[in-house]
Amino acid sequence: MDTIDLFQTLPRVFESEQIPASDIWLNSARFTRGGRYLVEAASGGGKSSMCAYIFGSRTDFAGRILFDGEDTCGFSIGRWQEIRRRHLAYLPQELSLFPELTAWENVQLKNRLTRYASDRMIGDWFERLGIDSRRDTPAGRMSVGQQQRVALIRSICQPFDFILLDEPVSHLDEENNRTAAALITEEADRQGAGIISTSVGNHILLDYTSRLKL
Amino acid sequence: MDKLVTRLLRKNTSKARIAGFILSNFIGLAIVLGGLQFFLDARTIWTSEDSFIRSDYLVVNKKVTSANTLGAAQSGFTEAETDELRSQPWVRRMAEFTSNDYRVLAGVRNGDRGMSTYMFFESIPDEFVDVPRSQWLYRPGDSEVPIILSKDYLTLYNFGFASSAGLPQLSEGLMSSIPLSLTLTSEDGTRTRRFTGRVAGFSNRLNTILVPRAFMEETNAALGSDHPSLPSRLIIDTSSPGDVAITRYLDSHGLEAAGDKSASSAAFMLRVVAGIVLAIGTLITILSLFILMLSMSLIMEKNRDKIHSLIMLGYDPVTTARPYCAVITAASLLAFALATAGVMTLRAFYMESLAGLGAVPSPLWITLCTGAAMTALIICLNIMSVRRRVRKCFNNC
Repeated sequence: MDTIDLFQTLPRVFESEQIPASDIWLNSARFTRGGRYLVEAASGGGKSSMCAYIFGSRTDFAGRILFDGEDTCGFSIGRWQEIRRRHLAYLPQELSLFPELTAWENVQLKNRLTRYASDRMIGDWFERLGIDSRRDTPAGRMSVGQQQRVALIRSICQPFDFILLDEPVSHLDEENNRTAAALITEEADRQGAGIISTSVGNHILLDYTSRLKL
Repeated sequence: MDKLVTRLLRKNTSKARIAGFILSNFIGLAIVLGGLQFFLDARTIWTSEDSFIRSDYLVVNKKVTSANTLGAAQSGFTEAETDELRSQPWVRRMAEFTSNDYRVLAGVRNGDRGMSTYMFFESIPDEFVDVPRSQWLYRPGDSEVPIILSKDYLTLYNFGFASSAGLPQLSEGLMSSIPLSLTLTSEDGTRTRRFTGRVAGFSNRLNTILVPRAFMEETNAALGSDHPSLPSRLIIDTSSPGDVAITRYLDSHGLEAAGDKSASSAAFMLRVVAGIVLAIGTLITILSLFILMLSMSLIMEKNRDKIHSLIMLGYDPVTTARPYCAVITAASLLAFALATAGVMTLRAFYMESLAGLGAVPSPLWITLCTGAAMTALIICLNIMSVRRRVRKCFNNC
């Protein structure tokens, strides 16, 4: 997958409202593979909605979203699952970790499906992000910052053309922010993938090629 | 991978609800299968013993009164009477009994001793006789004639006549192997023909001595007096055995149904009772199906977020549904196995007394196939509903 186009998209809840000028909503926006995009918005601007629309988990929007020029609204469940396993990685804001599973199991739940990363690679990531000692702790008993790092590792346990990061460092300090940014950049570079990151202020420290206002 | 998914999705599974399903499904299936097997086993009491005449055939004759004896009333059926009977809604087919129009002397040779007796023949169309054609075949010119005897005659001979006259008792098998020498003489004594009779079987329901129609037509033509008498008995293929309309009609027209009437009404009652039992069992099974569907939907509702998260990770709906499908399959198969064991146990209890009544055990496979089909249906419907629910989680809006 080389391009993601958003064409005249708008969350249906905004349809009756007057919305401020946006680079995305009711506009044409293109994300190209290899690019580093930062989508900035105020809280309630619809960042998470945009991610969910691109990821196909929500369809309550007007307009069209195209992958390589193909409208996603016609994709079958099977096609979406293939995209989610091979082409599009996603770190949701709500993290969606399973609290009763340990940090390690949460990551494995994804990795066993994609068979992408080796245990050594994952162990290495845990170490770099400083959560190695929390491997066998149930995710529900970890701090939000730690959970965010587990979810980040989980999101890169797959091949991807684009990675969607919805406020990925909202609970991380600057040092962890830099480590996470390095990790994401490494993986994206290795795969020649694009990064689409959202932020309400505290953004992940990447070399952005383009900044969009929502 | 599956272990983790299973661990996640089985959470909130209520063992009590699953046990409730297994219990109710077991009860439902056990009633259906037990009822069905009992019906199949018990049915043979009335059907297998008398395979010559089907149980929904009715033999009808006029009641004999003193007027008949004095010659004032006809004991035969006139054409108008047979036509009226034929037009009744419960009559599917009807045929007349044809009698011999000559004298019959039947004899048995036993070494030097022999005995003989006068007797009679009757015949009905071959399609009313449920005997393989090869055993009930008479071709013009044959010297051997198949005969079906009333079982009552043998009983009468064995326990009434033979014991008092010091004659040997005869078993059905022996009787069938002894050839009967038949001498047929016309009324005026001028013409005589000889045949060998072979007993093809004994009937509980036919109070007569039956020969093939072809034989009757040939001998009546050769030896008869050309004064055909009115038929005195009719055989009716009824569409609804046990119908009260039949009894009412027969009573009001001075007719009576011959033979073992209790058999047909007992067979009818058995069918009715089996029908009721099967309906109750099926109802309980259907209810158990809904119990399973309901408990599955409850678990899935509680785990809805997890299912959604798994799908967002890229799990396909079939894999996601698998832990629930496994529970459904295991629970249903367990209930089926228990019901099968229940039927076997039940059967061990009743089969001995049923065999005493003359029932022949019916093979289990019909019942097992029915149970397997019902179980497969329950599994399929539930798996379909689970998969539909998982797919619904795909779009969380």
